[in-house]
Amino acid sequence: MSTFQSGMAPIRAMEDDSDVEEEALVADYKEQVQYEDIDDLDNGNSLSMAQQPDDIQARLAQAALPLDFSAPLEVKFQSYDAYCSLFHYILNSEGPVDLEPPSYYWAWDVIDEFIYQFNSFSTYRARIARQGNNAEEIQLLRENPNTWGCYSVLNVLYSLIQKSQITEQLAAMKRNEEPMTVAGDYGSKNLYKMLGYFSIVGLLRVHCLLGDFSLALKTLDDIELNKKAMFARVMAAHFTTYYYVGFSYMMMRRYGDAIRMFSHILVYVSRTKNFQKSAQYDSITKKNEQMYALIAICIAFQPTRLDDTIHTALREKYGDQLLKLQRGGPESLPIFEELFRTACPKFISPVPPNFDSPEENIDPIEHHLAVFMDEVKTNMWSPTVKSYLRLYTTMDLKKLAGFLEVQPEELRSFLLVNKQRTKQLRWTDGGLLEGDLVNVSDLDYAMQGDLIHISEAKVGRKLVDWYLRNLSRTYA
Amino acid sequence: MNGLETQHERRRPQERPEIIRTIINGLERYNPEAASTLESYLQQQCEEKFCDCNANRALLKLYQLNPDRIKDEAVTNILVKAMTQFPSPQFDLCMHLLAPSHSNPAPASTSELAEAVAKLRVLNTQLEGAQYGRFWATLSADDDDIYADLTTDIAGFEDMIRVRIAQLISQAYREIDVAVLENWLGLDGADEVAKFAVETCGWKVVEDGLVQIPKNAENEARKAEIREDVNVDMFARVIKRSWEEVA
Repeated sequence: MSTFQSGMAPIRAMEDDSDVEEEALVADYKEQVQYEDIDDLDNGNSLSMAQQPDDIQARLAQAALPLDFSAPLEVKFQSYDAYCSLFHYILNSEGPVDLEPPSYYWAWDVIDEFIYQFNSFSTYRARIARQGNNAEEIQLLRENPNTWGCYSVLNVLYSLIQKSQITEQLAAMKRNEEPMTVAGDYGSKNLYKMLGYFSIVGLLRVHCLLGDFSLALKTLDDIELNKKAMFARVMAAHFTTYYYVGFSYMMMRRYGDAIRMFSHILVYVSRTKNFQKSAQYDSITKKNEQMYALIAICIAFQPTRLDDTIHTALREKYGDQLLKLQRGGPESLPIFEELFRTACPKFISPVPPNFDSPEENIDPIEHHLAVFMDEVKTNMWSPTVKSYLRLYTTMDLKKLAGFLEVQPEELRSFLLVNKQRTKQLRWTDGGLLEGDLVNVSDLDYAMQGDLIHISEAKVGRKLVDWYLRNLSRTYA
Repeated sequence: MNGLETQHERRRPQERPEIIRTIINGLERYNPEAASTLESYLQQQCEEKFCDCNANRALLKLYQLNPDRIKDEAVTNILVKAMTQFPSPQFDLCMHLLAPSHSNPAPASTSELAEAVAKLRVLNTQLEGAQYGRFWATLSADDDDIYADLTTDIAGFEDMIRVRIAQLISQAYREIDVAVLENWLGLDGADEVAKFAVETCGWKVVEDGLVQIPKNAENEARKAEIREDVNVDMFARVIKRSWEEVA
């Protein structure tokens, strides 16, 4: 742990810097912004509550409330300051503060909203830089490069994790020991424990937004993904976790693991949707659709038998697209792009944009999409090749090249690509990044010169499930 | 196959130095000062022919957060090292950590790093797409010596790629034409191919310009039947229930 501590030093120092800036900023704003105007806004009431620094319960509640989407830049800056001072109070008071979280899902809401605002601020800032025509806001953003800065957001999340000793607590729980014995002064308080816990999920999300997919998965090393996990009590947290884990797996070409994650949570949602409070359910509907799109992508890479519910819903939502994806070839590329765009997280750049040359600020989504499409293009002939190979037990390469209307040399590459991609890491136990290299395809082949030997694994009928279902029906 | 396995660079360093472990597992990975340690570790990987992709990504992450610290050669060396791991997502994972202005630059971009990245991306696409002949052609049609410059720091780059290609061939082929092999391994003439096939790979050159590759788990394409594993536990609930109802 000593390394952990010493490692904090530079980041702390940075935070101290930004504290000074913050105060200056706050003073600045008190002059600039006319609060009367803000009272006209929908969230005017809650904002004025936040101005009373002594009403801590109100501030706690405020931190969990969503900021209006169209809030002006000043309000976004203010909101950042409010978070900074709240976290500063929680983290840097003398000893743990004696507060109870307003509700069991409060900590999730705070972390969720904090990251959401960071995300949308970064996106907004990049857009202003790209458009380059709002001189006033450009000036303001240029002067405050550290507001909603990546280092401060990471710093908050890591500090909450560290203060709450949540890593140690989770490790103890894994060993079936009492987490309280390692929780320390802070971590034994509900407020810190919950904030620390959801900060881990928050980090998963932030790393993913920045394009660091393996670090995202590593972040969850201490959390066991199962129904007993703490996040499962808060539906939105449960849902978010699986979305980001699944997405990260997909970007690491672990399609089987990605499908497992998406299916798990989508089945869970479809089974519980009648019990969810409607407001909570609404907020996850969009992510729900996105995960179906991602499943479609993963299925195209790796045909897999899905749970019946998922399969039916997938055909309903993305039937046409799925067909095109599964057919492969150049016609499938626009569909991959379309689905990726609708379903990916709103990627951000970790550093302020270049305000001086607007055209240099490429949307990070385009960047990640382009890298992802490299692999899609490499693989686009696999479905075609596979569909032919299934028909034969031996086949001459030049003949098949004739069928496909490609050069033999080209086909040799397709065959190698397809064969190489059938080996994939699959998780069995331990951290999310762990896994064994397994063969994921039922189709295998080997070349003897230009002769292709093909073998297809036969899948015997699966009867146990059928028997069990019918048996239980008879009993009932 | 053991010959090929040991000659290809080690996937994971057996012993990641303690100081590197500390950096990538703790908060030190965010300390801009850690960059120089990771840079010299990268240098060591380039010289000693091993690759620690996790540590290298930590360095890219530091560059991502502190663009003023970017060292162009370090970025390209990381990409070249990641490329030698083909087929794998390693190169793409590095690309995701680059700034869009380096990986997908605007048309008017004059960044040298962006140009180098674009060049390496072409090579990587060829390796990932199993277009090995084209890969060697691209590498040798290097008029401005750009590829030579980009790979100069990586000891044994071409040999590592060649051995890796041979490994992948052995996982798909039982027999292969010498002409195809020559093209894929970037070698010159049947003699050179025969020498490499026999001495480095332990394969056999048979008549008619054909090379025979020993059987292994991957190049057999054996028929398999996937059966359902049935055990008593699966029926435990039904049995329990029937017992309860009788009682």
